[in-house]
Amino acid sequence: MDSVNSHEKIELSPSVCEEIDQWVAKYPVDQKQSAVMSALRIVQDDHDGWLTTPHMDAIADYLEMPAIAVYEVASFYSMYELKPVGKVKVCICTNISCMLNGSDQLVRHLEEKYSIKLGEMTEDGQYSLKEVECLGACGGAPVVQIDRQYYENITPEIIDSILDKLD
Amino acid sequence: MSDEMVTIQVDGKSIQAAKGSMLIEATDNAGIKIPRFCYHEKLSVAANCRMCLVEVDKVPKPLPACATPVMDGMVVHTKSPRAITAQKGTMEFLLINHPLDCPICDQGGECELQDVSLGYGGFDSRYVETKRVVKQKDLGSLVATDMTRCIHCTRCVRFGDEIAGSRELGATSRGEHTEIGTYIQKHLDSELSGNVIDICPVGALTSKPFRYNARAWEMSQKETIASHDCVGSNLSLHVRRNEVLRAVPKNNDAVNECWISDRDRFSYEGLTQSRLQEPMIKQDDKWVAVSWDEALEFVASELLSRTKNDAAATGMLMSPSSTIEEGFLLQKLARALGVENVDYRLRQSDFSETQTPWLGQSIADLSVNNATLLIESNVRVDQPMLCHRVRQSALGGGEVMSLSSVGYQMNFSMHESCVVAPQRITEELAGIAKVLSNLSEGSVCDELVSLYPGIEPSPSAIKIAKSLFDGATSAVLLGSMATSHPDYGLIQSLSVEIARLAGANVGVISHGANSVGLNLMNMLPKKELASAKSFGDMQSEGMKNVVVYNFEPVYDTYDAQTCLAMLRSAEFVVEFAMFENDAQKDYANVLLPITPNTETSGTFVNCEGVWQSFTGAVKPFANSRPGWKVLRVLGNLHNLEGFDYMDSSEVLAECKAHASELAGISASGQWQRQLDSSAGVARIGSVSPYAVDSVVRRAAALQKTSLAENGVVRLSPELASSLGVQSGQRVNISQGDETIELSVVTDHSVAQDSAVVPSDVVVSGVLGSLYGEIALQK
Amino acid sequence: MIKQYLGSLFLIELLKGLKLTGKYFFAKKFTIMYPEEKTPISNRFRGRHALRRYPNGEERCIACKLCEAVCPALAITIEAEPRDDGTRRTTKYEIDLFKCIFCGFCEESCPVDSIVETNIFEYHYEQRGEQIMDKTKLLQFGDDYEAQLAQDRTLDAQYR
Repeated sequence: MDSVNSHEKIELSPSVCEEIDQWVAKYPVDQKQSAVMSALRIVQDDHDGWLTTPHMDAIADYLEMPAIAVYEVASFYSMYELKPVGKVKVCICTNISCMLNGSDQLVRHLEEKYSIKLGEMTEDGQYSLKEVECLGACGGAPVVQIDRQYYENITPEIIDSILDKLD
Repeated sequence: MSDEMVTIQVDGKSIQAAKGSMLIEATDNAGIKIPRFCYHEKLSVAANCRMCLVEVDKVPKPLPACATPVMDGMVVHTKSPRAITAQKGTMEFLLINHPLDCPICDQGGECELQDVSLGYGGFDSRYVETKRVVKQKDLGSLVATDMTRCIHCTRCVRFGDEIAGSRELGATSRGEHTEIGTYIQKHLDSELSGNVIDICPVGALTSKPFRYNARAWEMSQKETIASHDCVGSNLSLHVRRNEVLRAVPKNNDAVNECWISDRDRFSYEGLTQSRLQEPMIKQDDKWVAVSWDEALEFVASELLSRTKNDAAATGMLMSPSSTIEEGFLLQKLARALGVENVDYRLRQSDFSETQTPWLGQSIADLSVNNATLLIESNVRVDQPMLCHRVRQSALGGGEVMSLSSVGYQMNFSMHESCVVAPQRITEELAGIAKVLSNLSEGSVCDELVSLYPGIEPSPSAIKIAKSLFDGATSAVLLGSMATSHPDYGLIQSLSVEIARLAGANVGVISHGANSVGLNLMNMLPKKELASAKSFGDMQSEGMKNVVVYNFEPVYDTYDAQTCLAMLRSAEFVVEFAMFENDAQKDYANVLLPITPNTETSGTFVNCEGVWQSFTGAVKPFANSRPGWKVLRVLGNLHNLEGFDYMDSSEVLAECKAHASELAGISASGQWQRQLDSSAGVARIGSVSPYAVDSVVRRAAALQKTSLAENGVVRLSPELASSLGVQSGQRVNISQGDETIELSVVTDHSVAQDSAVVPSDVVVSGVLGSLYGEIALQK
Repeated sequence: MIKQYLGSLFLIELLKGLKLTGKYFFAKKFTIMYPEEKTPISNRFRGRHALRRYPNGEERCIACKLCEAVCPALAITIEAEPRDDGTRRTTKYEIDLFKCIFCGFCEESCPVDSIVETNIFEYHYEQRGEQIMDKTKLLQFGDDYEAQLAQDRTLDAQYR
């Protein structure tokens, strides 16, 4: 039974803990788990942009909440990565406004360009493509988010130039 | 919720509802049916299935009845066109991804979705796209999954959070990809996990042992009382062709509410395993099956002639899970034959205490205590339904503390957990009493002072004492391990002293289903008779003739080695047994097959003193007979008076006349210490939750769970490192002359210099007493 | 009075009767020389039962027990458990043909067209107990008459 229910454990680094503590301090003492989203972001940034199960377990232990509750949050939001991502993460919104303004072509273009599907990573680990829900910038549809930056009114040509600049 | 009532109008009918309650509660009470999936009266409101949408006047949109508080003068329509349209729309959405596999679904025929879709579902689907498929999950040996059928009502998730107290299931991912599961491959470990089967409104979570065995409509429902703990949960057994196919809870808010433990739910599997089928007599060392007439006449004539000369060397022992009727008849038979050596306290070693081991309060009261002290009690796995109540008190702000030799993992936060080696428990209790005497400005009794002169209370003791003293209602509960403790009498005396000073209730959580009842029936030696021998005296002095009633000495006694030695040296042993085992063939002379409580009528008195009667759900297995009938006939064969009962209710009536009122537990006057604090490595012999009685031990699915954990020794990290062993390694454990090899688990919660060696399917019968010195060797 | 007298004198009634006799004496005969000859049977005929398989050889029955539930004569007994591959299958499927009243409800209730009634009505038993059709026998009948069964169901499909 134990082999099924236990797996590898890791400890959060002191610098990560310190950063999480800043967020914990913003909430009432008995509601530590409110800091879970920030904690996930901090740990993800500290680990090449993605989260493993032991990472999430460590956060659960640190914030004294059930591990499953951390998994729920991490799997719900599209900004948390549960498998390795490329150095450049290209998130394309495919919701209604962006779709009407041609996000389909963008997706097709990028898929062909890197020969990967949405949600995959190039073999060299450089690029990831990701389909995301509405980024809240419908005025500039179609919208692409690369790492933390929004790019609006994107066409295949514009995205190529943006990505070239990043290289 | 206040007592204030408001009046609302539902479907033209005026109904009263408590202010602040939800609309669905009001309609349920008034018998107005509103369809629902996610709402459950014992769980929090989630309002995520949207099936209970109703129309409320002056509100522009339909409202979910489960999340709409009643307001005075509210006018509600549950069957207006708008409400019906909303409900039908919800139903169509729910059915979009639900597979049409009712014919192979175990929930088919008792499915809430199936029932509601009959009323609100369309004739055919407008959905032509591909249906969602969710990967199967393995949640262990008890709960089977078909997650494609899940409608995301999250009842199971909320159950884990709010009732079981360990969130094991969750809703991961988002939108159409939402899945209920554990995210990582994980088995359900909760001792209440089976309840998710009942609350799941669809066939997503079903019973694994019952999988595909039968349909709801084939079985008849028979009510009974669970026999594996002192709570006596109310059960409905589902029976087909004279076979118990499953057990489900029966609602009883005073006892088990609508929940039951996994042990009560899945133990039915053991009912038909290795049952003793025929009466048997050992003739020239060979076992011969005989007729009941022959067996009973043999037993009667032997007992009669042997007790005539040797009544003092005859003992009768009974399982604490026997019914009150059986207990009454056995002691009546014994005493009519002049035998005073009767006992049911098989897992005890200190027999000085003869007061009725009851809770001292009602089960429901446990959930409102302000302070609760648990002494040597792993209440979570030993008594899941009592733990549920204690947990409620903790969630309501009550302080729960424990004093035990292992810091057990509870499903709520402990105010204070004091972990000391078994031999130091009484010292801590004395410390608590001393602090209390200061707080209450009363004084402790002289015996305590002379036994523990100059005791210094530990910080834990001070904290516990303060909490008990401050709590308006507080309770001191002695766990079933405390009753097994060699210093049980002393622990009880100290507890009574603590309770007196703190104004608390004292309660005992006893072994078996009916310790309270058997105690009331005097199925133990009378204190005023000095010659009457307890189970312990019988073992130390040896018995010529022994009656073993309904227990397996190898597993069900405090010290299997000693008990077996007594039985082997006896001249004549009659065993009333449900099951066959190897040991009985060795020591017994006659085996009489009797029935478990599913096959006979009887009564259990639970720990709060409630008499709960039941009737047999199925016919006796093979040629076995209900125990009370066998005892009655034995009485007739001895030509004893007062054994002419026509049915068990007549026995029960006599039992009731015989029983005294339950009184609060008082000081026992036992002020002697057995366990020396200087002993070496002490064994902490808890009883594995799935090894408590012969039926549970034979339940295959339960034995596969992680709670069963057979063949494991738990050591404190200090002890493990001093022995040079690590988790997973094997270690030799010797007690007396016997040695067994067990696998080590290091556990911070175990007291230093102690080792938890539970009495389970592997250990029992090899090692001796539950508490005592043991030697460990790598 | 006279008419009646003449009628009986000339045996009119008798001749009328003989006329009918004569007509059928020379007409084409109805008699079927059973068992050498057989009557045509409807594709909906309800004879002895069979359990069908899918073309890939997998048994259709999924142990839903609807036939057992619907059977007005309580002639069907089913026991089920998970098969090694995890699917729901019967371990026992018995029909007592002495109890069966050949109403066809079992066939009607079956969600997977597994239990069917063939057009076989000629069978006998020599021993008590032979009337109980177990799973092996029923599947064997299904295999033996699959062509006929499939054809009957295709013919009937348009009316369903």
